[in-house]
Formats: sequence, structure tokens, C-alpha cells
Amino acid sequence: MLETKLISQLQKIAGKEAVLTSKEDLTTYSYDGTTTWAHMPDVVVLPTTTEQVSQILKLANENGIPVTPRGAGTNVSGGSIPIKGGIVLCTAKMNKILDINKTNLTATIEPGVVLQDFNMALAKQGLFYPPDPVSFFGCTLGGNVAENSAGPYCVKYGVTKHYLLGLEVVLANGYVMKLGGVTVKNRTGYELIMLFTGSEGTLGVITKITVKLLPMPPARKTMIAVFDDMEVAGQAVSDIMASGVVPAKIEFVDNFVIRRVEEMTPMGLPVEANALLILETDGSPAAVEADAQQIVDILKKSGAKDVKVAKDANEAAMYWKARSAGFAAVFGAAHTVMAEDVAVPRDKLAEFIRRLGEISKKSGFFIQFLGHAGDGNLHPSIFTDIRDKEQFARAQETMAEIFRAAMELGGVLSGEHGIGLEKQRFLKEAMDPVAIDIMKKIKGVLDPNNILNPGKIWEEGA
Amino acid sequence: MAITTRDRYEQIKRFEGDLSQCMKCGFCTFFCPVYQEEFVESSVARGKNMMIRELLAGELDYTKEYADRLNKCTLCMACTTNCPARANIPNVIVAARADTVEARGIKFPYNIVYRWVLPRRTLFGNVVRFASWFQGIFLPKTEGTIRHLSMFLSALGKGRQIPEIAPKFLRQVVPVVNKPPAGVETRMKVGYFTGCMTDFVLPDLGEHIIDFLNRKGVEVVVPKEQGCCGAPVFLGAGDFDTGRKMADTNVKAFEDVDYIISDCATCTSSLKDYVKFLADTSERKEAYTKFGDKVKDISEFLVDVLKLPASAYQPASEVKGKKVTWHDPCHLVRHLGIKDQPRQIIKSIPGVEYVEMPNADRCCGMAGTFSIYYYDLSKKIADKKVEAIESTGADIVVSSCPGCEIQLLDGVIRNKMPVKVMHIMELLQ
Ligand SMILES: Cc1cc2nc3c(=O)[nH]c(=O)nc-3n(C[C@H](O)[C@H](O)[C@H](O)COP(=O)(O)OP(=O)(O)OC[C@H]3O[C@@H](n4cnc5c(N)ncnc54)[C@H](O)[C@@H]3O)c2cc1C
Ligand code: SF4
Ligand code: SF4
Repeated sequence: MLETKLISQLQKIAGKEAVLTSKEDLTTYSYDGTTTWAHMPDVVVLPTTTEQVSQILKLANENGIPVTPRGAGTNVSGGSIPIKGGIVLCTAKMNKILDINKTNLTATIEPGVVLQDFNMALAKQGLFYPPDPVSFFGCTLGGNVAENSAGPYCVKYGVTKHYLLGLEVVLANGYVMKLGGVTVKNRTGYELIMLFTGSEGTLGVITKITVKLLPMPPARKTMIAVFDDMEVAGQAVSDIMASGVVPAKIEFVDNFVIRRVEEMTPMGLPVEANALLILETDGSPAAVEADAQQIVDILKKSGAKDVKVAKDANEAAMYWKARSAGFAAVFGAAHTVMAEDVAVPRDKLAEFIRRLGEISKKSGFFIQFLGHAGDGNLHPSIFTDIRDKEQFARAQETMAEIFRAAMELGGVLSGEHGIGLEKQRFLKEAMDPVAIDIMKKIKGVLDPNNILNPGKIWEEGA
Repeated sequence: MAITTRDRYEQIKRFEGDLSQCMKCGFCTFFCPVYQEEFVESSVARGKNMMIRELLAGELDYTKEYADRLNKCTLCMACTTNCPARANIPNVIVAARADTVEARGIKFPYNIVYRWVLPRRTLFGNVVRFASWFQGIFLPKTEGTIRHLSMFLSALGKGRQIPEIAPKFLRQVVPVVNKPPAGVETRMKVGYFTGCMTDFVLPDLGEHIIDFLNRKGVEVVVPKEQGCCGAPVFLGAGDFDTGRKMADTNVKAFEDVDYIISDCATCTSSLKDYVKFLADTSERKEAYTKFGDKVKDISEFLVDVLKLPASAYQPASEVKGKKVTWHDPCHLVRHLGIKDQPRQIIKSIPGVEYVEMPNADRCCGMAGTFSIYYYDLSKKIADKKVEAIESTGADIVVSSCPGCEIQLLDGVIRNKMPVKVMHIMELLQ
């Protein structure tokens, strides 16, 4: 519990309405998208201006109170869980789109802007911001920067960090720092914007974001390919990438997801298929036509049982809906779902899938897949129950094996979800010890009192 | 104090499937009309559902704050429709409201209204009459002629623009059996569930509907025994016991008709919801199922059952040459999946120009009891709707839920817009 004096100071800074203290309200800021983590904050503050954020941090810093930044709480790594209690600083009300500049192809937004709201505002002007985490209806741009998020489009367009031109960040002591600007080129000093990108709320609170934009591609086409064998599907992805054509998206769903999605919302998916690739190309109409033809040919040659090109936008939307329902299918399937976030090089996809089969056989756990095949980020998941200690321990061990298999193939621990709480036990195996040490030193410089999202990324005392 | 053996979580537990289905993705925040005004997590399905989970886990209790957060929901179902996990959290919320009522009771004056007035049709009528007298004294008169009755007592004095109560109620002006005129063959016999609003405020609409149906060869029975649908009681306030009494009354009143038609989306959907929330015995389950299956929204009935040709839809004189837009009541579009039928009717009317408004299916913020408890919030939600209406340049906004119509009327009057609010049947000759 925080002293009443601090609560009233917070109220003075942000307004009474913006400070939540009832147990009921606090409960609703105790969780994120994971099934494993939850912790109650002592207070929730919803500021509306940078100045308020600055004052809140100053107050917290002077009193040594932990502050956990939160956008929409959709992360799946424990990132926004106030594991040490204290303040949850939620940016949901800092949700103004400040500027969209069609000539510069840039936009400046507040951190609480929801990605879909941003996309809709851009679409009205024929503009396009590619990073598209599947959580776009919920997640905020601040969260996207702090997690360096990316979705299906990253195959062709890259991830959040590739679009950042400027940031405004409030440091732990309340100082409001401006980084970068609105120009595409900027070679002034270190790339400090990158320091805060993917920082998971541990280095500062992002209060303004300037991104670069693209014109909306005039045409797009969606294809689906049905496979009897998951490895063959993995190989098909490598074949496409090697052929010189770059699809905008290549997503993968397995038989489990196909069946569950079909059960929840019947849409005529091939329930017998062992794997389904959903692909999209975009660009000028002529290029889209040619690319789609080339992709269909490669898919057939690679052993797809059936390849279909969506007739129209409605059919395409249906396939993408199936893909986004996949998450629900998986997360609703068991009390505790351990969703791995490893990414492997694209030419190792088939090999990785084969190894996962072996791990599944050996451990007895069913391993489910769903993910961004086009970037090697497959999200293998294990269904377990955290209340069953013995089984949960075995599930964790199996997860470790999956992670090690990915590392052996040249992969990484987290493709997009971040480390947070969920993955920190693997960090030492996944990162150079000197690099971890440098991270800790940077944290010490920027946040000497360790108030910003404490307890995240690396294990404490380790 | 009464000793109770009732499970503290009896109703919630019936919806444990929905409760556990939510995977906390947060998609619902984007679609929730309440969250989009407040931006706090307890506004939206994800937060409410997590509070209920924590209640079951023993971490939260039936406090005032808990009850308040549960009440702050319009049950618009926008969350469910867009939920990738297909979690029906409004189910859980209604059930949780019922358990809360058991644990906390209902507060004055709602207890009087819900437990005594609404279930008793004659008394209700008298109270309405009495209140209409008060209304003349205290409330600004408006140009419209609708008044949201089930909540009228508490709405008094809250500044809402409420239309007037009719001098004579529908039940007082029409006979029980209304046969097609001479020369028109009787095709079908239907019961007309008039709903509080049409009965007490819009008797002209009721008469018009009966006349319209008669002309199309439909015999219309208006049972005197019918009462309020019960929506404010069992859905809004969570009073399932009283709700059951009301349900039984209505089921009995409509025993021998082929269909039961209703001009109010909320009534239609609530009558169908009896079986989901109120069926506590197998007899009730059977009776409510049979009853619910017979209930049809008026536009659904005209289009899907009577299959009227386009030429059957001729304009009433006052709408000729007008531009018309349609507002989807939540209870019609999401609860019942009725979306195309009303549009088809409006588009068939010669000399009327139809324009679709942006986000036509977005909740108007009325939601019965909700708009009384949270009038300011309700107004903000309505203002977004009003903006959408304005952007169409329509002369008339049409709906088929008197609850929505009050809200729309309140919204256009507050914003001084020259737009008329009408029921879809009022468009027709
Ligand atoms: C169904 C589903 C699908 C998903 N799909 C994808 C996907 O395809 N790709 C992907 O990358 N991720 C995905 N995610 C994960 C998640 O949506 C992203 O990590 C997203 O960027 C989080 O945004 P948020 O606003 O919810 O942030 P939160 O969850 O609220 O916070 C995430 C982290 O960022 C920090 N943070 C938030 N705002 C700020 C700020 N203003 N300043 C500093 N730190 C801040 C928090 O402290 C926390 O550590 C998915 C999640 C779900 C539930
Ligand atoms: S959209 Fe559905 S699953 Fe997602 S948080 Fe809302 S209710 Fe839960
Ligand atoms: S029913 Fe409507 S108001 Fe209630 S939580 Fe769902 S979206 Fe929000």
C-alpha cells in the first residue's frame, strides 16, 4: 500500500478521476496476455500529458516507488505486470494522433494511440504503416515501440524499429528527452532511439512517437496452400524466399488450429490438412498478378496438395480472420498455455519443425504451431496446467528443449514478444554475458533507483 | 437475516464456459462503447470478466465498486461479435448481476419499480399515468412522443428530453382480436407483444402495425394479460426471481398463436432470452424455448415469414421524398442477427432515399437502466451516434427499438438537429 499522501499527490498531478485505487480497479491492471503471470499494483494512474508523466516519474523516483508503464496490456511476456507493485502508469488516455504529413510521409502520435485507430486514420489518406502485430485492435503504439513488435507484414516490410524517426521519452527522474526528428536520414550521435525500442518499459516512458509511412499499395492478393506434411510446408517457405519473390506475408497454421477455428466459426477450412500457409502479395496490380502466379507455381512444386487464390477481398478477409482467431484457439485450449516465441532462420524452418516433432514424441507433450513462417517465428505452444506442479515442471523443461533446438539452428529466444518475466530464465543462454552486463549498466545510468518496470528482462541477483 | 443455502456464485457458474474462454487479448477494447469513452480496463469485457474471475477466486467481494463496474455495460454485444475467442462476456455479466442482487439486494427506488411496478401491468399503467401528470409539471415538453417507461421514475428530474405519455394506452383502444377487413383472406394468426413503450407512449404506432398486418391478411391478437418483457428487471438489474414471474405471465398470455411479433428489438431479444437466463426447471426450459422460437421482430416477420413483395412497402405521406438512414439496435443486429431485413424494407419504399450511416450498428448508449445510472456517459456515447447521423445528411433516422428511439431523440434535440426520429413501421403507409 502506498501512503495516502502519495496518492493525493498523484491526484494533484493527474486529476482525481485519473487515479484508481479500489481493489476492483487494481485487479484489472494486474494481468497481461499471458496465462502465467499476475500481480496487483498499488495504484493506477492514467495521465493525459507528457508533463503529467514527468511529474509522476519524479515523484516515484524521489520516493523509490516502482512504475510499470502499460499501454493496452496485450503483451504476452509479463512485460506490463507490476511484479513489484507500485504504480501502473497506463497511457490509454494519451491517445491523440498529433500529425499526419502526406508530403513528408511521416506521422507523430501519442503512445496510447491504438494501432487500428492509427491504421484507419492513415487509410483515409491512402497511407500505410506496415508493422502489424496481430493484436492491432488492442495494442498501442507505445507498447509496439517498447516491445519492438511486428506482425505478418514484416516478411517484406520489417519491424517497428525500421519505421522510427523520433521519440520523446520521459526519463526516470522526470526529464523529458527528445530523440531524432522527422527526417528519414539522421546521423547525429548514437542511435539512442534504438535503445528505447524494445526496452520493455525499463528505461523510460515513451510519450511521443514519430514514424515514417508508405503509400498504401494499390493492390493485394491472398493465397492459401494446403499441406499434408508440416515439414514440407516449412520447406515451401524457404523455397519461396529463395526464388527471388518476396511475399508481404507468409503465415502458418497447423491442424489443431484449423480444426479449432473451424469449430468456433465454420468457414470451410480444410480440416484434414496438417498445415496451411496463408500468403499475401501486394504492390501494383501487374506486379501482384505476376508475384501471385510465381508463388502458386512454387507452392505446387514444393508439394502443396492444394493452392487457392482468394477470389475477392471477402474471401481473403476470411482467411486472415482464421489466422487471427488462431491465437484464441490456442490460448483457450488449456489452463496454462506456454507459448514459445523463438525465431529461426528461414532456411532452417523444415529442420526446426522436424526437431519439434522429436521433442514432442520424447516429452509426451503435444506441440502446437501457429505463427509467422515468413520470418521463421513459429510460436510453438505447450498446453499444461500451472496448478499441476509436476506436469508444469516437465512442460518448462520441454520449453527449454525447444528453445535450445532453435538456438542450435542459429535462432533467437524471442522473435517479437520480448523477455519480460516469461523468458528471463533463458536470457543467459541466449545472449553474450558481456552484452547482458552492458544492458545492466545502461539501466543503472538511466534509472539508478531501479524504479522503471523493475524485475524484468534479466533474473534478479543473477 | 435470512439463512441461505444458495451458492454465492450460482448464476455465474452456469456461464463458466464463457468466463474461462476469454484469453485477455484486449480486442474488445476497440469495440466497446463504454471503453471508448472511459479508457479504463474495468469498462470493458476483458476487465469485467477478470473481476468476476477474481470474485470466484475469493479475491474480490460483492462490494459497491464491484456492482458499479458490472452495471457499467450496455450489453451491446460488440465485444462478443468481435471476440476471436467467441467469449460471450455479456452472458457472464448478466449472471454476475443476478448473483450480486442476491448478495446485495436492489436499492431504492429500483426495488419498488422492479419488484412491484413493472410486473403488474395495471398498476404500472396507473403509475405511468400518475407520472405523466408530474412530467407536465417538472419536465420540459419535447416535440417527440416517446418516453422510456420502465425507468421513468428514476429518470425524472435528470434532465433527459423525454417525450410525453399518451392520453390513452394501446390496450385501451384496440380489441383483443383484430381480424383482416372484409375481402382480405386470413393467412395467419399472430400475437402482438406490444411492449411498454408502444402500449403507453406510442399507441398510434401499435394501431398502425395492427392495421398494416390486417391489410396483409394477418389476424392480430393483443392479449390483455401480457406484461413488460422483463429486460430492465432480469437483464438490467439482475433480478431473476421477478423476471421469472414476468416470463411466466407472458408465456401464458401467448399460448395459442403461430407467431408472436414485437416492434421493439429489446423486447424481442429479451423474450428469446428467457430460456438462457431464467429457465430454472425443465418445464420452464421447454415452455420458454417454445415461446422464444415463436417470437419475431416485425421487420423479420414481414420479410422472412410473410415474404411481402417490394410493392407492399408504400411510403406514409410525411416521408415521401425524404432521405432516411437506419440505426441498428444492438438487440436486433447482434443479439438476433437481424441486419438486412429492415434495410431491405426501407430500400423498397418508392420515393424514399436510403443512406447508410457510418458504424450504423454501434450502440447508441441507451441500454435501459444503464442510461439512468450513467446518464452522462450514455450521452457521450449517443453523441458519437448523432455525429454519424449528421454526416449522412438524412432527414429521418429510423430504428425499431423505442429505447434507441428515445436516446436518438434526446441526442438530436440536445444537438439542435432538424432530424426526425421514427420507427420503421411509421415509414409505411
Ligand atoms: C492475440 C495477440 C496477438 C499478438 N500478436 C503479436 C504479433 O503478431 N506480433 C507482436 O510483436 N506481438 C504480438 N502480440 C503481443 C503484443 O500485442 C505486443 O507486444 C504489443 O506491442 C503490446 O502493446 P501494448 O500496448 O498492449 O503494450 P503493453 O502490453 O501494455 O506493454 C508492453 C510492454 O511495453 C511497455 N510499455 C508500454 N507502453 C509504454 C510506453 N509508452 N513507454 C515505455 N514502455 C511502455 C510495458 O511496460 C511492457 O513492458 C500479440 C498479443 C496478443 C494478445
Ligand atoms: S476480445 Fe474476447 S478474448 Fe479478447 S479480451 Fe475481449 S472478451 Fe477476452
Ligand atoms: S457488451 Fe458492449 S458495453 Fe458491455 S463490455 Fe461488451 S462491448 Fe462493452
